Amino acid sequence: MAPRGEKRQATRERVLAAARDLFDEVGYEAATIREVAGRAGVSVGSVFTGFAGKAELLSQVMADRVEALQAELEHVSPHLRGPTADRLRSIMAVHYGFEARRLKLFVAYVACSFTWPADGAVSPIGRNHRFRGLLVDVLKGGVERGDVRADVDIDLFIDTLLAAYVWNYRRASQDGADAQTLIANMDRQIGLLFDGVAPRR
Amino acid sequence: MTRRALAKQHTRRRLLDAAKRLFNERGYEAATVRDIAAAAGLSTGAVFASFSDKADLFGAVIQDDFEALAHHLRGAGGAAASTETSLLALFSAIYVYQRDHVPLVRAAIGYSWLGHPQAAACVRGGVARIFALIDAVLRAGVASGELSRDLDVRLTIEMIWECFMANYRHAIFESCDAEALSARLAAQIRILLAGWRAEAA
Repeated sequence: MAPRGEKRQATRERVLAAARDLFDEVGYEAATIREVAGRAGVSVGSVFTGFAGKAELLSQVMADRVEALQAELEHVSPHLRGPTADRLRSIMAVHYGFEARRLKLFVAYVACSFTWPADGAVSPIGRNHRFRGLLVDVLKGGVERGDVRADVDIDLFIDTLLAAYVWNYRRASQDGADAQTLIANMDRQIGLLFDGVAPRR
Repeated sequence: MTRRALAKQHTRRRLLDAAKRLFNERGYEAATVRDIAAAAGLSTGAVFASFSDKADLFGAVIQDDFEALAHHLRGAGGAAASTETSLLALFSAIYVYQRDHVPLVRAAIGYSWLGHPQAAACVRGGVARIFALIDAVLRAGVASGELSRDLDVRLTIEMIWECFMANYRHAIFESCDAEALSARLAAQIRILLAGWRAEAA
């Protein structure tokens, strides 16, 4: 990359790191572009060169987190054992554990997902094909293993699971619930869901 | 009621209607108190005589909308055959009621996620009333013998609600019509209740 391009890339990364940290510390609403610029050590104009505004910053911050979460999931997925419900519990626990480290980011991301158009930098919640693919594989495996009914609409099931997964974060933002509380709640919800798809005796 | 009180009520109604329209058209950030006042044919002073700030006005719009929704839902019940049919009638009625101001609904949800106390409180209050309706339907299902006595009513209500809310995220709501969304929600409710059918065999 030519020197100017390198400098621009370095600036972009500093801005994104500053945005990520600021959104996480003070929350997305309270954070300002001016503060992001200040923390990154650049001018406000520099921020606006790379990003249209706060929403685009958050969108890119979230997109940049995908690889790290994917790595954690890949670490766990070959070792999943036991009933399908428990395998899903393990996967969702990794998600919660990861997002809980920068909770305000995910909460802001959910909040914005109600008002953003669908053409942001990051795929809509629940539509990341790799994350979703893992869930699909575990459920299909469940059908093969015999603890999930063959006639289950897997896509619908996953949408239901993810709806609960996302909504649990509300407890974190409103009641200050920690990751363990969210995971425990998800465990119960998965139990209810699996009662509905267990093979009939 | 005194003439002054009546005039104040009339002003409040004009402001709420204008605010609802502008918040729906422009979203929370872009709609200004000045523009809302102008749309209502009033001064900004008139706004601040009734509301402490924009957030307070937004909270009042949300509360007003929930009250109108509750009124709309009064007709949605009736002697329905099954729990699923009753629940579907309820949620279909909500989707139909909201379809002419979906952006406002999404703005309200998004805003309450960011922790704004007024919006969050108003949304929670309105949601509590709908939860009570779902609760009544589920308990009727248990009483009639359709659903098992062991049904975790609270958990089930929350999960049904979470599926309902998930449709408001992203473009799902824009690209689907109320009928399609209701059909999908019905299928999800079926999964959620499947494990709680009182055993006939």
